Amino acid sequence: MEVFANFGLGLAVAGTAENLFYCFLGALIGTLVGVLPGLGPVATVAMLLPVTFHLPAISALIMLAGIYYGAQYGASTTAILVNLPGENSSVVTCLDGYQMARQGRAGPALAVAALGSLFAGIAATFFIALFAPPLAEIALMFGPAEYFSLMLLGLVAAVVLAQGSLLKALAMIVLGLLLSLVGVDVNSGVARMTVGLVPLNDGIGFVPLAMGLFAVAEVIRNLERPEHRLLPQGRITHLWPSWDDFRRSAPAVLRGTSLGTVLGLLPGGGAMLSSFAAYTLEKKLSREPSRFGQGAVEGVAAPESANNAGAQTSFIPLLTLGIPANAVIALMAGAMMIHGVQPGPQVMTSNPDLFWGVIASMLIGNCMLVVINLPLIGLWVRLLHVPYRLFYPFLLAICCIGVYSLNNSTFDVFVLVAFGALGYAFLKWGCEPAPLLLAFVLGPLMEENVRRALVFSRGDASTFVARPISLGLLLLTLVLVLAIVLPAVRRARAN
Amino acid sequence: MRWRGGTDVIVGALLIAVAAAGYWLAADLRIGTAMRMGPGYFPRLVCWVLAGFGLLLAARGLLAGGPPLETWAVRPLLLVSAAIAAFGLLLERLGLVVAVLALVALSRAGGREGRPVEAALLAIGLAVFCVSLFVWLLGMTPPVWPWRR
Repeated sequence: MEVFANFGLGLAVAGTAENLFYCFLGALIGTLVGVLPGLGPVATVAMLLPVTFHLPAISALIMLAGIYYGAQYGASTTAILVNLPGENSSVVTCLDGYQMARQGRAGPALAVAALGSLFAGIAATFFIALFAPPLAEIALMFGPAEYFSLMLLGLVAAVVLAQGSLLKALAMIVLGLLLSLVGVDVNSGVARMTVGLVPLNDGIGFVPLAMGLFAVAEVIRNLERPEHRLLPQGRITHLWPSWDDFRRSAPAVLRGTSLGTVLGLLPGGGAMLSSFAAYTLEKKLSREPSRFGQGAVEGVAAPESANNAGAQTSFIPLLTLGIPANAVIALMAGAMMIHGVQPGPQVMTSNPDLFWGVIASMLIGNCMLVVINLPLIGLWVRLLHVPYRLFYPFLLAICCIGVYSLNNSTFDVFVLVAFGALGYAFLKWGCEPAPLLLAFVLGPLMEENVRRALVFSRGDASTFVARPISLGLLLLTLVLVLAIVLPAVRRARAN
Repeated sequence: MRWRGGTDVIVGALLIAVAAAGYWLAADLRIGTAMRMGPGYFPRLVCWVLAGFGLLLAARGLLAGGPPLETWAVRPLLLVSAAIAAFGLLLERLGLVVAVLALVALSRAGGREGRPVEAALLAIGLAVFCVSLFVWLLGMTPPVWPWRR
């Protein structure tokens, strides 16, 4: 079987001492940011991007991926012990996890979350290994028109499936496209919209933009709220779940994993959507729905498996189609591009060691995570007592030095200031920064493909609807938009 | 008095302004034809679409009423921005150590209360950390001290 040979290659790549170390480091940092409520994986990956440029591309991606799925593990700890989601993807885990902790079952809740995540992680890894290659082969047949339509679908689907105002999210996409156009146009060599600033010739920096919108804006927002007193609930006396817990959670883990695997594939999907959907499904299927919210172990098992599966399968659209499905994956896409690897179907053939190495590292990373999380749980609990005021100047310092180190340019530090303030304004205005980031990453590719498609068709714009695959993708985009807009129209008419 | 247009009108108006600015900046770029696009074609297209969304948002806010404005935490916003800007200004002039000290001092002023001694210790600790990690371990070469350049 070719898959096994490829996976073997991946294990050989991921199993080198260097890559094992970065995998472990990623898992460890991921757990850390997962546990800390004021710090999310998007902000962390943005902050660490500059550091990863000193590493080989494979090690960098292995580490960044580890942060993303590692955060899913760590987040459950805070949700269960403190009733605060460490990440958005663990919001629903609070409902039953915290109740379990109050009943003195914190240990089993943590163990179920970690073991469920482990199962989901392993299952999702094999899912990626089996289904990513065929998808990439389909995508290799795409021409520029198909690619443009696919990217449009990816962007629109990402905002339709995310929460918040659709109109604002679409506007954020267009704003992201506009920002991505700043700089020298590759085709003509003309500087565009640079306001005469020479450092802008290379475009607005991806790293200061992402770091400002996510990390700095998050710090400012955290500072406006009074500091939470985090009081971990109860002592953890035993970890091992009872036989009854196992019996109840095994099917929930299976369902959560399947749901998360599928939802992670969708643009805008990933960890958060998966966990919400899995919790709802468990509650609907349960014979005693009243147990939910009162410490039902299924209510921990299903969403925690789902968010880990979803976090991992959201890599598939990136590795096979070159379309980032959410903000973390968009940052990975940026990291790949800066290392000179263009995300897309050709990655599998041109950089098989990278493609399979990253996938295989997920298997290793998940096993490491169980060890990091369960025996060391006491350490993570203690970490929750570190007050935020000691912690945010550290984050800001890492951001500043990291941004500066990219080009040894203080200009990028000022770009960071601008996007930090803008990111805070977006939070206040209810504008999601994630669609802007996705569009910023895809913008140059979209322009390039529009241009190429129109050259091929001799300037005939109907090429986008004349080619069947492209037409299908565009129709799907339209259906998605209408699906959201139509109920709203109907409601407005009824009023 | 609560203004019923809310954030939608403000965001919409700002988007229109950004689109207009973008259009103006792209004004002297050659448009070209659809087949041979000049550098100005795509930016103009994007600006039109952006202005369209801005109009829709503003119109929705005016007609249906948008979500109300939230109060801004001006102090952390200004001081965190100032802290990062100070880092940018000081790094190449006075070196990494001074830049980090300024960053900590300003950003702590923007945040929660806490003893000055604690802030001072934090600043010194962070300066040591940054120099050892970035300069000694990762081999970056920013100026470190004000006197050695």
